[in-house]
Amino acid sequence: MTDSTTASAPKPSSSVKLVLLGEAAVGKSSLVLRFVNNDFQPNKEPTIGAAFLTQKCQLPSRTIKFEIWDTAGQERFASLAPMYYRNAQSALVVYDITKPSSLVKAKHWVAELQRQASPGIVIALVGNKLDLCDDDSPEDDAQDGENVDGHEEEAVRKVSTAEAKAYADEESLLFYETSAKTGHNVSEVFTAIANAIPETSLKGPRGGAGGGTQAAISGGGGQDSSRVNLNARGDAGAKEGCAC
Amino acid sequence: MFLSNLVQKAQQYIDPAVLPGALSNANATKPSKSTLFQQQFHLPATQNPLYEITAELTLPTRKSGLSKSPSAKRQQQWGPNDWDKGADGKGTHYVGQLHLSEQFMCFSTVNTSFVSTASTSASSAFTGRTHGTGTAGNGFTLPLCAVRRVERLHTQSYMFALSITTWNGFDPGSDTKPGAPAPPKLTIQLEGSRQQCERFCDGLKRGLRQGIREVENMRAVAADCYSEYFMYSDFDATPPSTKPDGTPRTPPDTGLGSLFKYPGNSRKLRDRSKMRLWHEYMRENGRNTTLVRQPDFHRLIRVGLPNLLRGEMWELTSGSLYLRLQKPKLYAETLKKHEGEGSLAIDEIEKDLNRSLPEYAGFQSEEGIGRLRRVLTAYSWINAEVGYCQAMNIVVAALLIYLSENQAFYLLSILCDRLLPGYYSTTMYGTLLDQKVFESLVEKTMPVLWEHLSGNDVQLSVVSLPWFLSLYINSMPLIFAFRVLDVFFLEGPKVLFQVGLAILRVNGEELLDATDDGAFISVLKSYFARLGESAHPKSENPKHRAITNFQALMVVAFKEFDGITQQTISEQRSRHKAAVLENIESFAKRTSIRNLGPESKKLSTNDLGFLYDRFYTILYERQQRAQVLQAEEDRKRKASRLRATEIVTGVAGNSAPEMGRVGLGPSTTEMDYDAFREFLAGVAKWAVTDSPSSPTNPNDPSAHRGQNGYFHTLRARPSHPSSPWGRGPEPAEHEFLRRLFKRWDKEGKNSLTLQDVVAGLAPIKGGRDIMGNISYFFELYDDDNDGRVDREGILRISEALLFLSRRGVGGGGFVSPSPTSTGLSEHEDGKRRETKDEQFLSAVSAFIRRCFEYADPDHPSRQAEKEANSAAQQVDLMDLNEKDGPVTSDPLSGSSPSGSDAKDDSVLSRPSTNSFGQTQPQSKHAAANAALDPASPVHITLPTFRMLVLADETLESFFDSGFANSFHLADAPLPSSTITSPTFLSAAQQQHATAPPASIPALSPGGTSSGVVGGAGAGVVPPGKGLRGMLDNIVTDGMRVAAEVRRRMDEAQKELDKGASTRGIEDDDDDDGDEGGRDLLEGAEADAGVERKGESARSREQSLLDQPMVEEPRQERGKAKQEEVDAEMEKSTMFER
Ligand SMILES: Nc1nc2c(ncn2[C@@H]2O[C@H](COP(=O)(O)OP(=O)(O)OP(=O)(O)O)[C@@H](O)[C@H]2O)c(=O)[nH]1
Ligand SMILES: [Mg+2]
Repeated sequence: MTDSTTASAPKPSSSVKLVLLGEAAVGKSSLVLRFVNNDFQPNKEPTIGAAFLTQKCQLPSRTIKFEIWDTAGQERFASLAPMYYRNAQSALVVYDITKPSSLVKAKHWVAELQRQASPGIVIALVGNKLDLCDDDSPEDDAQDGENVDGHEEEAVRKVSTAEAKAYADEESLLFYETSAKTGHNVSEVFTAIANAIPETSLKGPRGGAGGGTQAAISGGGGQDSSRVNLNARGDAGAKEGCAC
Repeated sequence: MFLSNLVQKAQQYIDPAVLPGALSNANATKPSKSTLFQQQFHLPATQNPLYEITAELTLPTRKSGLSKSPSAKRQQQWGPNDWDKGADGKGTHYVGQLHLSEQFMCFSTVNTSFVSTASTSASSAFTGRTHGTGTAGNGFTLPLCAVRRVERLHTQSYMFALSITTWNGFDPGSDTKPGAPAPPKLTIQLEGSRQQCERFCDGLKRGLRQGIREVENMRAVAADCYSEYFMYSDFDATPPSTKPDGTPRTPPDTGLGSLFKYPGNSRKLRDRSKMRLWHEYMRENGRNTTLVRQPDFHRLIRVGLPNLLRGEMWELTSGSLYLRLQKPKLYAETLKKHEGEGSLAIDEIEKDLNRSLPEYAGFQSEEGIGRLRRVLTAYSWINAEVGYCQAMNIVVAALLIYLSENQAFYLLSILCDRLLPGYYSTTMYGTLLDQKVFESLVEKTMPVLWEHLSGNDVQLSVVSLPWFLSLYINSMPLIFAFRVLDVFFLEGPKVLFQVGLAILRVNGEELLDATDDGAFISVLKSYFARLGESAHPKSENPKHRAITNFQALMVVAFKEFDGITQQTISEQRSRHKAAVLENIESFAKRTSIRNLGPESKKLSTNDLGFLYDRFYTILYERQQRAQVLQAEEDRKRKASRLRATEIVTGVAGNSAPEMGRVGLGPSTTEMDYDAFREFLAGVAKWAVTDSPSSPTNPNDPSAHRGQNGYFHTLRARPSHPSSPWGRGPEPAEHEFLRRLFKRWDKEGKNSLTLQDVVAGLAPIKGGRDIMGNISYFFELYDDDNDGRVDREGILRISEALLFLSRRGVGGGGFVSPSPTSTGLSEHEDGKRRETKDEQFLSAVSAFIRRCFEYADPDHPSRQAEKEANSAAQQVDLMDLNEKDGPVTSDPLSGSSPSGSDAKDDSVLSRPSTNSFGQTQPQSKHAAANAALDPASPVHITLPTFRMLVLADETLESFFDSGFANSFHLADAPLPSSTITSPTFLSAAQQQHATAPPASIPALSPGGTSSGVVGGAGAGVVPPGKGLRGMLDNIVTDGMRVAAEVRRRMDEAQKELDKGASTRGIEDDDDDDGDEGGRDLLEGAEADAGVERKGESARSREQSLLDQPMVEEPRQERGKAKQEEVDAEMEKSTMFER
């Protein structure tokens, strides 16, 4: 199997299943959209069930192909989650730094994953919507999504970095604060996860029909014009986005 | 509101997953015949199959058919004597079954029988293959209010034949008068014995009389239907906007599409020709409520509904029209009733309003968003259990393109309650179940593909779940999703499966090349994008080339997968139901247990698991028992309303409601006081009543639930509705239980959540801390949280201790058995028990004495102040007291030496200088008695209480472990050896015995109160004598003291009465003086309150039951009237409006 972007000797490539969990509207889908398409949509439809996307991540020594399961955040969809985190090697547990309740929910998810998901799962705790608090990024975010519940001025940080970081350390999680809107720290999270996946747990690309699969995927990706932006960041390889 | 909730709940329980014919599942209850009847004809839950008879329906020969070239000629009038022309071969004949319910007459060629003797297969025949006609088949579903005239035709034979004229509430037009054409006359020949026919006709007459009341509703409902407007004139794609007389006509609201354009190209969709065909069809077969279903009806739906009629046909085929007919104002009223209110669902809805079909122009406008908001909000109010689930926004947005918001509301109800059971519930069990069903159907019908998928670890349901959850709306391009919906509303949920299977079949080869989720999804994604393209682009035959992928898909779905029937789905559902629910429940349980708050960490996971099971078992069992009782009442009521001979069908009564489960979406999550008692009775012996009102089962298995493992999930136990407490032991009623309940109910909402229960038990069970337990107990009785428990409280504490120990409590363990015990682990040593019991009794007696001995009088300085304030009144009071004589019979106070001391007897005044220091010189006995005197208010503080408990080995052990161990959770306690007191305590105990009293204050936490105790203790305890040694002298005849307690309480009660009689002149500031009395009063009020509450609950229930009865008199009246009418009715016309 060859990778279209690796010109020289093919690096070993392996796929990693990653699941996104977190309260509704914290920006899970937006993070994925930023990572996969380097795009941001203020009126993102809620995820129904789950959406599946893939994206490659180039490391110096190898290529990681993320198979991303972006799940629905509404509380009642929680019972579907085991279906999606099954066999996941990594997880991104997302909260919204302007919503303390979302960190509580994130902690629940961490606990659930630690007990129920595959042992050795790499978990990253991600505080999203960093752009909403001025202490960090002075970008002008005059009109942010309705996620802020209409209180534009109040959309300040409600979860301190220190608190979340302390929790992450305690549970040995990777920790980042991101903004899907500005793209801040987004690729860093995924790269960090890719690096943290133990070499031993990596399997080769699934199945034998590599070439055929690739073709089919590209075809699918091309159709999905609204979600796939072929002008995505240069370091990303062939990508495909699907949401069913 | 409450009633409609119940109805909804009932509907939820009517899970098609357990339709008959399903592989018998021991737990599954079969739906009643009524339910099946409602399902076949899409009727509201109020309808029951009352009469049925085999019949032949004759319709006039169609002047035009889809197959023939359409003709626009107005149909000829049909004379009443034309009916037998049908018999000569003119007209169309349908043989089928005619059913009559309270408000509907239904005819179907799908032969079903709902009489009580009918076999399950006869009652559910409609769940088999329907050949595209839907469950109701050819025929009609006629609201009785739509019947205008019924004539009995004079036939040559003895047979009964009826000619039925229908209407839509408006006078029909004719050749000379403008207006919509009259619906056709229906000729029905009844085939049965004369008696059967007559009984049916009697029933019909009765129903028709009742129907008069609904004519207004029907007019309103019909006016919202586009057909009413459309049929007013000859076919015209854009009907005239004025009547012939010039009055303007406004078309009814046909959804956002009429404002923002309907999706798709209407030319390409051939909308105009479809409208023409529908015009023809409806002219001959009636419209909206009076529409007769003939094969062309189903064909017209299959080819896709035209934009303007789509909403109306969805309403009609799904049956939401009938719901609207029944409660035409429900939508508006619901919105009005909850105007301005907020809820969690509303917050969730708000978040998604801008995220629903954002690509459709209507939802970029305030108009569209507003409609969406209102429909979702209104539904969240009428079904608070479902509230709002993501995906509903997308479905409702889609409906709103074709329906007015009012219509969409009813259709959403039908969707959630009947068509997609459990899909949007809080656990989404319906969604998960149907995914399992879908997977197993794929495995069955496409084994090779299935092998491939599982071999490559591709999870099908991950792909297909959104198809079902949002009805293909955000998977397929909208125009195609709507065509799936057209068939879905007609034929039911099986359509979703047929289409899903067809999608996989059509893409089979490509899917076999896909080896991971990504590839799999891409194949389908790309296919959906090509649905409008030609299925055979390279074909020579232009006809073949014209077939789109979507058309090809429909053919595969409904031809190849014709065998996937509603029955198939039901069978599969009942096969997978248990596993799916168990999965959900174990997930829910472990999540719930993990998130019970910090207090829960004090309990073991096993205990938490046990509490979880116990909590929900109680809730659901109680719910089920209530339903059984309700069903029983319903049955009785029905039986009394209808004469026995008239009950031709087995209506209700033959199916016990299924017990609720966490997995079904927690319908109840809170425990009221009675449920709490029941809960306690299962975990603590003392909470079981001594005088059960119903026999209990000594071998109750629930008692052994202590062995439940952590992952043990709830399982339905067979219920025993005969006993109000089901199968468990009957709980006791005691003031202590009430206090415990109140304490656990932190938010004062009069109900407990699981978290409340855990937080309530955790300090008792988890702390293993004697000090904690003592304070816990003390606080239970410190009503006003001022750190003091008054005389009344002391008596109540003693009573509670006796109550808790009446089945024995002792040493470190909880050992005594009792005859009514719940079978908790028992030790047979009766003698030992007796002595233990006696020990405890005497300990409690001693405790009371000591309490009063060491009680503090209420604060002197405050007292003085009060006395000054109330000086004026005191004269009167003294007079009064003199008149009434001394309130208490205590001889000691009578013999007080000074005149001022005499005042002590009065209820309202106390010695201003009474204090420990002063009473000390008196004999111990005297002090105790003085303290017992209700006239002088006293209290004990926590440190005193603590000291008194620790002073007694038995009590100490009770608070150390006995009380905690009296709650039996999963980690059932072993005998005393396992219980170890914290070491600091044993050290303290030893100090008690030997060390000087100075050690006592050390036991109490620092703070203001400890100082008081220190002082009191120092004053009381004679130097050189251990505290315990001193107290041991006190009388320990337990029985006597218990009696004394009673006596004192009675006295206090008398006092109270007295207090009440003097209340008029009482000074407010004196409230300290009769605190005990107040308390008692409060206690009494609480008692009464509970009683009253119980009563009101009962009366509420009663009124619930009464509700339908309210109709009874009316019905009686109707009957009477009908008889009158009968008498004067002319022979041939049975009925006429
Ligand atoms: N300002 C700001 N808004 C964001 C950011 N990320 C997401 N949002 C907005 O938050 C809202 C929700 O984003 P989604 O990505 O749909 O959230 P989600 O977690 O996928 O939500 P569900 O699918 O419902 O679970 C959208 O309106 C986004 O535009 C961010 O980094 N900054
Ligand atoms: Mg999302």
